[in-house]
Amino acid sequence: MGRDGIAGLVCLAASLGLLAATIGLPGPNLLVPVGPGFYPRIVLGITAALALALIIADIINQQRKTTTAPAATPDTAPNYGLVAATFLIFILYVAALPYLGFRLSTLAFVAVLQSTLRPPRSLKQWIIVAITALVTTAVIYVMFDSYLAVLLPRGRWTDF
Amino acid sequence: MYELLLTGIVNIVQVKYLVPLFIGTLVGVIGGALPGVTITMTIIVVLPFTYGLDPLQGLAAMTGVYVGGSAGGLVTATLLGIPGTPSAIATTFDGFPMAWRGEAGRALWLGIWASFFGGLIGGVFLVATTGPLAAFALQFGPWEFFSLFIFALSMVAGLTGSSITKGLLSGALGLVVTIMGNDPVMGAKRLTLGIGFLEGGISFLPVLIGVFAFAQIMTDIEKRRAAGAAAAVVDRTLKLTVSHLKVITEILKKPFLLLWTSFVGLLIGVLPAIGGSAASVMAYDQAKKISRHPEKFGTGTPEGIIASESSNNANVGGSLVTIMAFGIPGDAVTAVMLGAMTIHGIQSGPLFMTQQSKLAYGIFAAYIVAHVLMVLILALGARFMLGITRVPQSILIPIVLVLCTVGSYALSNVMGDVYILLLFGMLGYALVKFKFPLAPLILGVILGDQIEINLIRAIMTDADVWLFLTRPISGVLLALSVASVAFALWQHRRHHRRNPQSADDSADF
Repeated sequence: MGRDGIAGLVCLAASLGLLAATIGLPGPNLLVPVGPGFYPRIVLGITAALALALIIADIINQQRKTTTAPAATPDTAPNYGLVAATFLIFILYVAALPYLGFRLSTLAFVAVLQSTLRPPRSLKQWIIVAITALVTTAVIYVMFDSYLAVLLPRGRWTDF
Repeated sequence: MYELLLTGIVNIVQVKYLVPLFIGTLVGVIGGALPGVTITMTIIVVLPFTYGLDPLQGLAAMTGVYVGGSAGGLVTATLLGIPGTPSAIATTFDGFPMAWRGEAGRALWLGIWASFFGGLIGGVFLVATTGPLAAFALQFGPWEFFSLFIFALSMVAGLTGSSITKGLLSGALGLVVTIMGNDPVMGAKRLTLGIGFLEGGISFLPVLIGVFAFAQIMTDIEKRRAAGAAAAVVDRTLKLTVSHLKVITEILKKPFLLLWTSFVGLLIGVLPAIGGSAASVMAYDQAKKISRHPEKFGTGTPEGIIASESSNNANVGGSLVTIMAFGIPGDAVTAVMLGAMTIHGIQSGPLFMTQQSKLAYGIFAAYIVAHVLMVLILALGARFMLGITRVPQSILIPIVLVLCTVGSYALSNVMGDVYILLLFGMLGYALVKFKFPLAPLILGVILGDQIEINLIRAIMTDADVWLFLTRPISGVLLALSVASVAFALWQHRRHHRRNPQSADDSADF
């Protein structure tokens, strides 16, 4: 099964699961002739049907592909390691926000992500990383918290 | 109408509005000039800064970003051969060869003035048609609105991406997002899966920010080597001075080309979710077809630059018409603007023009004044824009991600919206890897509630579902929905018959 088939299977499973979850929803009443489950069932039914269509299309394509030449591989492989690292750093940032607060977690996030995307190789580059992290955090905090009256998260652990 | 526009212009040139409009246009031009940073990304970054402003200030800043971004892409497209935004791709075809042969100033200014005139033509269309279209839409009942939204969704799903099934599935997934949380009619909790922050439903802005920002950023990161990408080499000796009168005359001597390519841009702008890149490429193609010297296209002909740049700025006007008259975003940028309106408690759609006429004409005025500001900014800072392209992505990416987080959090000051940002960021990247188009998903998320509300209202008014087909406007719109999917199917089949090798992820139904 190809990528489309896998995507179709995931969508089919999710839509059928959610469709099953609509069973317990209340029915229609005197004012509204259809209940809160009416529209979701239509949407989820269509989603399931489209997901099934994608799976079938993928099976047909896979059969066709066996008779054709394999596709050329790209010259440079995507850097998935860096993508995974970026996601991981962002997840840690989001997780840290309620505990460390905006200022500390943003300072750490900008510095760590910058160093991951382009590892500093000299003292000058380390200084640039530190200054960027500090200036980004300070400017965004002052601008939003003081000027635009947007309250940014304070840390439960740090009260900062 | 024109009195209101004049009042709008007088209003917008007040310092209170002019400053955010200028800053928005400047940021738009810079974002547009930065290769790899799209206008959508720029407007996402600007969005949180508008939360604390009054509605017109915020929307003026966003209109400035949109106009500035549409023109900013041409700087790097002409001078470096790298389009700053996808909508400037066609500008590189002739802009860069012209600059390469020593006419950098002419190439750049042909693009800037063509953007200016294309934008003004878009402005005339915007002012002249939004009111009548909104008045027409006022005749719509829930049947017509339901069918209109279905038409928008089916057209986007059919026209974007390489597979119609994936386009439709992407739109359906967008609708699934909107059925989670409280139902919009009875307020009953549904499909929250026991997750607390889903009980209030999923706000579309964190979804939009997550999907578009992460899809682009992660795709850029994929291409990076650990050592980092090399910065663009800027030739600081380029001569950019030029006789403006000569360049303007050169453009205005081709009135049919300017009007026709601007019209193509407008038309593409009016159609939902088909952006400036399609507009400029189609306008370029049209210009080539109507030219007496089509063989010169691609070698540095002024017609190519005029076509591409006039169309992508006229496209902005078209997109604004759709959002202001019908409440349907013409592209991702106007989707963010729609979100900004919602934050300020403003409902876009047919009533917007009558209930918020000051704001509506303020947006028209901002759109027109932004074009003047864009020319001034580029006149003073085109060389500076080239310097900015040297800012490494390793610095830009963390800043953009922090602003995305702030933009989501500040919506209601809850972490739930940041979790949604993260969740949909991952989903957006996964969808890109599985080659799903993102535009139908976003349109589904934006229109989902309205589709449901109008469907239920129609049934509550009259249980006869055949009314969706028998009411003339509704019936025509549903017929157009079927026709758009059928047309897309025919187009895809024809494409695959001609290019069997490109059918690697496709057998569509």
